[in-house]
Amino acid sequence: MRRLWFATVLVLLASRGDAQQSPAFSSKVEAVRVDVLVTENGQAVHGLGPADFEVLDNGVPQEVTLVSFDQIPLNVILALDMSDSVAGERLEQLRGAGSGLLAALAKDDQAALVTFSHAVQLGAKLTTDVASVEAALSAAVSTGQTALVDGTYAGIMVGESDAGRGLLIVFSDGVDTSSWLRADAVIDAAKRADVVVYGVSVVSRLKPEFLREITSFTGGRLFEIEKRANLSATFLGILDEFRHRYLVSYTPRGVAKDGWHKLDVGVKNRRATIKARPGYLAGS
Amino acid sequence: MRRVPLLACLCALSLAPVRAGGPSSSTGQLRGPSSPAAGSPIEQQGQERLVRLEQWVKAVARHAPGEDDDALREVAAWPNTALKLLWIDANVLTQMIRGVNANRFTVRPEGQRAGTQIRYSSTQTRRLRVLACAAGGALVQGECMAIGAGSELAPELRQLAVLVRTATLRGDDNYILRRGALLHADVAILAPRSMEAPGDVGRSSGGLERFRMEISDGQEVNLHQSAVHWEIARMLLDFVRPRGVDHADPGHDEMVRKWYRATAAWMQLREDHDRLHLDRARAIFPADPDILFLSACQHETYAGVPIQTAVRSAILPTGVTLDVGSERTELREAEGLFRRLLEIRSDHAEARLRYGRVLGSLGKHAEAAGELRRAVADLTDRQLLYYAELFLGSEEEALGNRDAARVAYEQAAEIAPMAQSPLLALSQLARRHADRRGALRAIERLFALSVMERTEHDDPWWWYYVVQGRDANDLLEAMEQPFLMERLQ
Repeated sequence: MRRLWFATVLVLLASRGDAQQSPAFSSKVEAVRVDVLVTENGQAVHGLGPADFEVLDNGVPQEVTLVSFDQIPLNVILALDMSDSVAGERLEQLRGAGSGLLAALAKDDQAALVTFSHAVQLGAKLTTDVASVEAALSAAVSTGQTALVDGTYAGIMVGESDAGRGLLIVFSDGVDTSSWLRADAVIDAAKRADVVVYGVSVVSRLKPEFLREITSFTGGRLFEIEKRANLSATFLGILDEFRHRYLVSYTPRGVAKDGWHKLDVGVKNRRATIKARPGYLAGS
Repeated sequence: MRRVPLLACLCALSLAPVRAGGPSSSTGQLRGPSSPAAGSPIEQQGQERLVRLEQWVKAVARHAPGEDDDALREVAAWPNTALKLLWIDANVLTQMIRGVNANRFTVRPEGQRAGTQIRYSSTQTRRLRVLACAAGGALVQGECMAIGAGSELAPELRQLAVLVRTATLRGDDNYILRRGALLHADVAILAPRSMEAPGDVGRSSGGLERFRMEISDGQEVNLHQSAVHWEIARMLLDFVRPRGVDHADPGHDEMVRKWYRATAAWMQLREDHDRLHLDRARAIFPADPDILFLSACQHETYAGVPIQTAVRSAILPTGVTLDVGSERTELREAEGLFRRLLEIRSDHAEARLRYGRVLGSLGKHAEAAGELRRAVADLTDRQLLYYAELFLGSEEEALGNRDAARVAYEQAAEIAPMAQSPLLALSQLARRHADRRGALRAIERLFALSVMERTEHDDPWWWYYVVQGRDANDLLEAMEQPFLMERLQ
């Protein structure tokens, strides 16, 4: 997981005019931030503050210092499978779903497009100009094999290129057949990143193990959809869910500086369901 | 769409329906491996088979190797049921060529221990004998003279006999065998659609059963019966007698060796995988470096993600299995074969490169790095050097040698500046060591590669599993060259 210099976070918050949450941090202190979805009876819970959260870092209670909800613009990265198998109707659906998602972004949100077949390409870098992303999506053609692992890594790195709140949506209708990178190496990279990965996979006999793991380790979710399922609704559902997540920050205390940190996130005095990454790799 | 055919086998390869069983040969029955067509007398079927065999002999003699000619198209159009019968009848004909008076015939399909006895009626046996006299160039020999073979043959077959005789006098009495193998290989190579034999997959129609699964992007897209052209070709070459030898000994025949090498290389280049082909080649040429190399490459390919994924996703009918082991099994097979090859040819740098990769895939990183460092030092081909540097980077990384890994990846990136794999590797290496800026710099290099200028061939990694067959067409051409003359016109 990337550790942010708090100075950077403060700049972001200041741009949203959130003066009441601007404690004075030393510029040398590193923070950990965790995207958290809190639901009760399937509905997102609103209005929680730092005092409502309990965070255990490797079992050590931490003081949550900053919580934001629906305040920081999103960086939405689409990493889309453009291999042979996506050709035809599926490609049109994918373009439609991508366009629908881009249309649903807020003014300050940024979007980017990574496409992958055997080749990985940056269709559009992170930008608030969603029209350019849509143009890149329209121009993408399907061909070749599937480098799902390579494409996902590229998507993570696009997320890493900006300090904003990263949502990576990976779509693939198959499994990896041509990546150079190993799945475990990319999952390791995801553990170091702040980007939350959501996966959308078409149901087949082959289980999407890579997407299942990487979404789990980043606190995202995997959607396994039928071939004829409404992809647009799935993409919009992901965006909606992500918007209802809290960004919880704390400065780690009493824990080792390196290695894997197990995270346990809870909400005090509520029987809420929490979805957050299970841990992070420190020293990243 | 890039489709990769992969051989599947019915577990019980069977010739059982051919077995004459109860009635003796004197009943004059010739039984086909498939159910006789409704209302078609068995005797008539036998006649049709011998007519087909005669057409085959002529097509073999007319075909110009490497050409998509009339003879090739004629044979390519034959249904697989006819080809299965041809496999039997051509086998018997070949036995007769070697001994015109032979009257007991046993055939044994690849993969089966026991042979099956084939019986023909006396009329059919006589016709076969006459054909054998022509195809063996033996019309003027005693046995053929005694049955008056020459008088029963059409002019074209008498002309064939002369061609065969001429070849025999020059020391090679394998005219039909070699040319037959060339013809059937050409059908498979030049008329690939003819390999898709219609038929109910999963229900044995008897005879040789071969299936092919076509895969695309790791998933099965088609499963069909496969025409038995390769099986016929291999069967014919099993009978080859090298110059100066009076018995079948294909393992000492250079044309047979070249045929297996060229056709196996073609299969790998085209990703038309057939394990039996190289298994047979290795049985005949157990210590041949080229055959060992291609065999090892095949196992390495079978261990690769595309094939393993396809195998896991395949829905096969009961009794049909794919000739592919688990990833680890295939890697171990490849490891053993590459090691054996390097014991014979320690200067085979391409084999060492692949051996290093296989060792790394098996988790033997230190050993792998050693082999790859040596391969880097020995290789001169730029594409192979790219692989060696890329794989070496991966092994150095596994050994915790970050700087050495980075250097190797950078070398690979320098050799193939448009390739994405070294840049992904460099980025991931940096990220793994908490160098986020370094990781971003490397990925920016990848993103900067111009989309418009990128081609299918930018990253040699994408072609790793076929590159070993890169000289297949040259090998085929060189192997066919001596057979372009002395054909029936």
